[in-house]
Amino acid sequence: MKDYSGKILEIDLSHGLIRFKDIEPQLLRQYLGGIGFNARILYEQMPAGADPLGEDNILVFSAGTLVGTPFPTASRTEASAKSPLSGGFGTSNSGAFFGLQLKTAGFDALVIKGKSPDPVYIAINDEDVQILAAGSLWGKECWECVDYLEKKHFGSEIALIGHGGENLLRFASIENGRYDGWGRTGLGAVMGSKNLKAITVKGTKGRKAHDPVALLKAVKDGQQLIKSASSYLAFTEYGTLNASIPYSKFKAISAHNFTKGTLPGWKDIGGRPIVDKYGSRHVACQSCIIACGHWVELTEGKYAGVKVKDLEITPVMSFGATVGLDTEAIIKASELCQRYGVDMVSVGGVLGFAIELYKQGIISKEDIGFELEFGDDEAAFKLLHMIINREGIGDILAEGTKRAAERFAQADRYAIQIKGMEIPMIDPRGRWSTWTLGMLTNLRGGDHLRCRNPVENLRFNERDEEYSKERFGFKQSMYDQLDIPEEVKRKAIDLEQDTTDIPEMSKWAEDLINLYNSVGICIRPPVMEKVGPTIIAEACRAFIGIEFTPADLMESAERTWNLIKLFNLREGEKVEASKFPRRFYEEELDGKVLDEAKVQKVLEKYYQVRGWDSKTGRPEKDTLKRLQLDQLSE
Amino acid sequence: MDKLIFIDHEKCVGCATCEMVCSLVHEGICSPSLSRIRVVRYPTRALNVPITCAFCEFPPCVSVCPSGAITKNAQSGEVTINSLLCIGCRQCVQACPFGHANFNFAQGTAFKCDLCGGNPQCVEYCWTGALQYLPLERALGEKREAVARSILPQA
Repeated sequence: MKDYSGKILEIDLSHGLIRFKDIEPQLLRQYLGGIGFNARILYEQMPAGADPLGEDNILVFSAGTLVGTPFPTASRTEASAKSPLSGGFGTSNSGAFFGLQLKTAGFDALVIKGKSPDPVYIAINDEDVQILAAGSLWGKECWECVDYLEKKHFGSEIALIGHGGENLLRFASIENGRYDGWGRTGLGAVMGSKNLKAITVKGTKGRKAHDPVALLKAVKDGQQLIKSASSYLAFTEYGTLNASIPYSKFKAISAHNFTKGTLPGWKDIGGRPIVDKYGSRHVACQSCIIACGHWVELTEGKYAGVKVKDLEITPVMSFGATVGLDTEAIIKASELCQRYGVDMVSVGGVLGFAIELYKQGIISKEDIGFELEFGDDEAAFKLLHMIINREGIGDILAEGTKRAAERFAQADRYAIQIKGMEIPMIDPRGRWSTWTLGMLTNLRGGDHLRCRNPVENLRFNERDEEYSKERFGFKQSMYDQLDIPEEVKRKAIDLEQDTTDIPEMSKWAEDLINLYNSVGICIRPPVMEKVGPTIIAEACRAFIGIEFTPADLMESAERTWNLIKLFNLREGEKVEASKFPRRFYEEELDGKVLDEAKVQKVLEKYYQVRGWDSKTGRPEKDTLKRLQLDQLSE
Repeated sequence: MDKLIFIDHEKCVGCATCEMVCSLVHEGICSPSLSRIRVVRYPTRALNVPITCAFCEFPPCVSVCPSGAITKNAQSGEVTINSLLCIGCRQCVQACPFGHANFNFAQGTAFKCDLCGGNPQCVEYCWTGALQYLPLERALGEKREAVARSILPQA
């Protein structure tokens, strides 16, 4: 701890104040960094009921504890604020190099408060922090701004908003350089509401490691663990696209706004073959040994000239499945979202929603100005431009599917969202699993990234009578190697029945991912399969000099999860909000619907596992006491 | 010198693990600014070029050093800085044609790659094969073979 030099940089845009704050040892010990810091800062410092687009909202960027070390995949920074989309805890995680620069500049967290009277950007060069006029940058798209700011602030990493954030789209993203971003929950609109166009950060200082030799060993061990994962080679080759074809075979992709489950020729539209056809170089984030990003340059066709780091499952599902576009149009759509600074998942959801409203006759050609059809890229992009600029019907759609649905009769059935946030990729009717229950329990709304079974088996797809199991389907050696405490493991995985218990595994998976988002490592499957709290504890000790047991780390992650839940409850979240769209309960997909009563039962079991009231989903007093949250929540 | 760090930038994915490991090994600090190897990124082309010491046969850094702090070992070919003799004048930093020789402001001395005494850790932790520490003849042999393969008709 004596070596730990991190500070919190707090900027009040209303008054132009810049402060450096020490990090209290207790904060570090209890919340680690990343999402942990964000949860604590937002819970403590934001008044209840704050307007997400008002002066009281607070935007925090915290780099994970291990960011700024060579520990594999330690690159990630969590951005959080009250979400304009869900009204709850808005949060998003991004890699690349922003966190590294923030850390080497000497800061673990950047807290942005208030609202600037005029458009500004923040320039950080070690302790030299300035609030500068954004001038003509306001109104410009992201890549153009990055080109300009990279020249002006040499060597800096840049977080910024585009038209999405400026025009307060409720699903605007904050872009992280050109090709990465804090996509979900509308944080770009929060930044836009503060009149903050960009943050540039460059650090030259770095951090002294408490025990460099031990840290190097932890790095080596971490690399070897990840390389030994069963999915490692597939991920270095195809990245996140590995899951695309299995999910299509399960008839569980978001095709045509969750009406089809699969699409003809899906393999060649959105499966691994598109990496062979369009991908060239692999691109890594800081300290990553997977490099799942693929470089794409379209050299012919309608979109010749487009260059992006892409071929990820998220755009492929959002634009290929939900909107029905072909591969080259998916690539173009990714480029547009990155340039304009909008969340690809929500954009796909909003476009799919609008197309379905049109086909159902709820909106007409007169409302839009042209016809809409799944798979029509030109119409989709025209509508996207209207949304980004809030023109015509675009102004309504810019509010997200939930709010837009309130404007049209009978439209809410087609808004595929939970807690206001558009659901990505996976249709739980086609595949019921830890992953899909996780969409309901996710504290940020309809989303797939905060609860993933570290040993999800894509060879099987059975739904049990009680909705509480999925097939484990691996050898015992896989079970033995999992870094999960024995008692949790026994509850979560039944080797004799060869099943994984969904509610038990959900809690473990959420806490593990929350731990990753606290220490700043990535949730790619090879990491999730192999990197558990034991090696993370060792790396943290070696770097910051605090002795954590693996149990301490899991408890910290659980504490953060509960604190975010308390934040949401304070903001008025109702238990009924954890509910799938009606479509999943009422309309058959490939002969299957979800049984609402059974979903409810398994959700109640999950609440019990969490130590929450099974009816209201409120953390029980004992749970809060165990996590030392009782005083904070009173 | 017989062995060199060979850099194949086509294989580099830009993770810069080498930078972090280098500064950690040499300074106990995680900081790209203190790394002996640096990765220059071209994000809009997805290209990454690691740059480290070339271990010149006629090193400008040695020629310009006024205090005799930088020497080239005639036998091993290694060029090293004796920080006790370094006066912090940064002439080597100016003279290095590759932007490699660098300056540690906290210590007031120059620094450069020392090949970790014959076991370069950047190579040890590079997982892509972009960095390899090989005898010249071996590295060039591999390169020639790759060229030859591309010329020959497919078997």
